[in-house]
Amino acid sequence: MKMKTSRAVLLTIIAIIIAAYVLVPFVLVVINSFKTQAAIVQNPVSAAGASFSQFVQNLNAVVNNKNFVFWRAFGCSAVVTVISLVLLAVFGGMAAWVICRNKTRWSTVIYMIFISSMIIPFQVVMLPLIATFREVGRFVGLGMNGTLPGLIFAYCGFGGAMTVFILTGFIKGIPYELEEAAAIDGCSPEGTFFRIIFPLLKPTIVTVTILNGMWIWNDYLLPSILLGQSNPNKTLPVAVQAFVGSFVKSWDMILTAALLAMIPMIIVFLLAQKHIMDGMVQGAIK
Amino acid sequence: MASISFRDVTKIYDGADKPVVPNLNLEIADKEFIILVGPSGCGKSTTLRMIAGLESISSGELYIGDRLVNNVPPKDRDIAMVFQNYALYPHMSVYKNIAFGLTLRNVPKDEIDRRVHEAAKILDLEHLLERKPKALSGGQRQRVALGRAMVRNPAVFLLDEPLSNLDAKLRTSMRSEIARLHRRLDTTFVYVTHDQTEAMTMGDRIVVMKDGIIQQYDTPKVLYDTPVNLFVAGFIGSPQMNFLDVTIAAENGKLYAVLGQDKLEIPAFKHEALKPYVGKSVIMGVRPEDFLPFDQATADNSLSAKVDFFELLGAETNLYVFIDEKKVIIKMPSSMERPTAEEIKVPVEMQRAHFFDKDTELAICH
Repeated sequence: MKMKTSRAVLLTIIAIIIAAYVLVPFVLVVINSFKTQAAIVQNPVSAAGASFSQFVQNLNAVVNNKNFVFWRAFGCSAVVTVISLVLLAVFGGMAAWVICRNKTRWSTVIYMIFISSMIIPFQVVMLPLIATFREVGRFVGLGMNGTLPGLIFAYCGFGGAMTVFILTGFIKGIPYELEEAAAIDGCSPEGTFFRIIFPLLKPTIVTVTILNGMWIWNDYLLPSILLGQSNPNKTLPVAVQAFVGSFVKSWDMILTAALLAMIPMIIVFLLAQKHIMDGMVQGAIK
Repeated sequence: MASISFRDVTKIYDGADKPVVPNLNLEIADKEFIILVGPSGCGKSTTLRMIAGLESISSGELYIGDRLVNNVPPKDRDIAMVFQNYALYPHMSVYKNIAFGLTLRNVPKDEIDRRVHEAAKILDLEHLLERKPKALSGGQRQRVALGRAMVRNPAVFLLDEPLSNLDAKLRTSMRSEIARLHRRLDTTFVYVTHDQTEAMTMGDRIVVMKDGIIQQYDTPKVLYDTPVNLFVAGFIGSPQMNFLDVTIAAENGKLYAVLGQDKLEIPAFKHEALKPYVGKSVIMGVRPEDFLPFDQATADNSLSAKVDFFELLGAETNLYVFIDEKKVIIKMPSSMERPTAEEIKVPVEMQRAHFFDKDTELAICH
């Protein structure tokens, strides 16, 4: 009993240390967004000099900055995230359904390709991606590099693997008789997917959407290489770069903008904690 | 309303070396209640699924009514199916589950409403229409599945082991409910089960299958009284028929079934069929209820048996004995006095004894 208690205490202490380690950068962002540039440079880890009035001042400066069109960047982020998530949910669900139900050698191969793409680091494919997008864009007659549709397309690719992986595990548990009953009732394959399978996937789709949404919203690297700094349509993490000059870094602006960019995700996290935890577990065991 | 006709239908799965259903020929009349029965893997469910269009047909022709349906998708076959696991849509209410097929067929809303409520009334589901399937008991779910099939007014009603997930008591009540439903809907029913009690009590005719081949197709009574082979004899009836190896012997113009020191006189009406087997060994089948009261034992109608144990079932008792080292079940009224001796003489009602050829396993006479 005593051993059990001391073990619990030890685990709690370790958990607190890890939580503090993870939370420190966030806390620093919050503290420093309430301070002036001078106060930040003087001591970035101190709360001295932080005030709400300064935060409002920073906020105004960020939102009304000429180099950083906040609402436009926010809109770009929102459009990219929402459309990517909808496409991922619909097409990821369809792909997972077909992989699950169409039991051929090819479906296994396709599934393995999806899974293997999860273990390839983004940095490895980053540069070939630009060249491929240029060629694909030329072939289909659409600008893939430097456009939001191109970015959305890339997110569908990068997010597809995890989406298919998680949804396949869930679809395996849906009795096949439901689809047969739907076929007898008069459903086409598309009708069966949208009327029967997709509604049943809802809890898992929510989980996948939250997990995908968090990284798509926060992602910096992919939009920065695909859209570029000179592009007027930038997502929030890329747009924050506007405050980073060659010689001067406006830390008060950068951190306030970063905090603003974080707020939607913090709200989503607070509202959907349970689903996020479910998603972590599903990813781990399925 | 429709008849069903299988003409040389074969089903072989991809990669399999032999067909699961080889060359099936079966005629099901309009409005008939047909039971497909057999052990697991005998092809009964595959046959049903071919009617439903859920399994493709490898060769042969399948007709529903006058229409060749080999390549007709399930939704266009005018059939409804009740699945073993109910297959209710979990995200829909009972009402929506029942109405789903009608909604897809663009039936007017008030007509859907009328039919759903009518079905719900017949199946006693009216108070459950707003519930989701997970909030229903097994029996209620099964009734919803029946309701979903009913409202479509299908030409053919297919049921795939619909009662196998229910407890014994509920199964008995649902059995009569389905039989009543057949009388009420007056349409063709095809029912798959591995439970011979369901087969015997519900169907107009029973198709007994083994390894994809129809063994016998007839009324329950004919199947019970005159099984065509050893398999049907053993499969139909509970407890199953007892089988004993006997030798046919002729003596003074009479025929006897000889087993060890015992000999049983065979009634004259069976002589013609059994004459070619004189001096040969055959299988004699005796149903557990076809034994006479112990006090009627005589020298030429009884077998020596060693009592094993009694099984009290209520009105009846099963007596387990060993005859010639084979376990034999004897059904006797519980009111009858139990034999107290360990070694007893068991009289057989030879009028009702069945004889089977040992090599072909076909019935010689009943």
